[in-house]
Amino acid sequence: MATSKIQAFLNHPAGPKTIHFWAPTFKWGISIANIADFAKPPEKISYPQQVAVTATGVIWSRYSMVITPRNLNLFAVNVAMAGTGLYQLSRKIRKDYFSDEKEAVPSLEG
Amino acid sequence: MATAFKAFLNSPVGPKTTHFWGPVSNWGFILAGMADMNKPPELISGSMTAVMCVYSGLFMRFSWVVNPRNYFLLATHASNESVQLYQLSRYVKAQGYLEKKEPEAQQ
Repeated sequence: MATSKIQAFLNHPAGPKTIHFWAPTFKWGISIANIADFAKPPEKISYPQQVAVTATGVIWSRYSMVITPRNLNLFAVNVAMAGTGLYQLSRKIRKDYFSDEKEAVPSLEG
Repeated sequence: MATAFKAFLNSPVGPKTTHFWGPVSNWGFILAGMADMNKPPELISGSMTAVMCVYSGLFMRFSWVVNPRNYFLLATHASNESVQLYQLSRYVKAQGYLEKKEPEAQQ
């Protein structure tokens, strides 16, 4: 009984034998790498990269819900991307504009 | 010319469909990578760049077999693969992983 469900999953046309499974699954790596980078100092965060991560996450979250069939795994991974991207951006903006008032201009204008 | 443009507008992977705008947002990764090419390599995140290389490789395959086949997504990820591989090479060189002399001098 359980094995036939497992077999049904394994042999699904969008299952783990296909790219339709692994490509969205691996996209979680982007959010995981971002979470690992939470520990890095904000000076090392790249504005363009994190804006790209956030924008991609937001746009794909919407589209994963309107395609047929809806892809909740894709939705979840893009929500996570948007969330981690926004957090990294907030860390860098806080460092650049809301702390160390006595210091000279933030690194952006250097 | 006009009919080719109309064919593009009405294509099943054209700008009236989600299949078009998703890849458009993914161009952000390429533009970000290109903007970061001239920054010092100490700022590169090795884990994020390595993840991007695998991610774009997987999605190039995905864009080829998905129905309908999405050449725009393929081009997007092929470009991202190039940019991220270049950034990864800069990171690896800056970290000294490819040097053979004086391994104790690094980290």
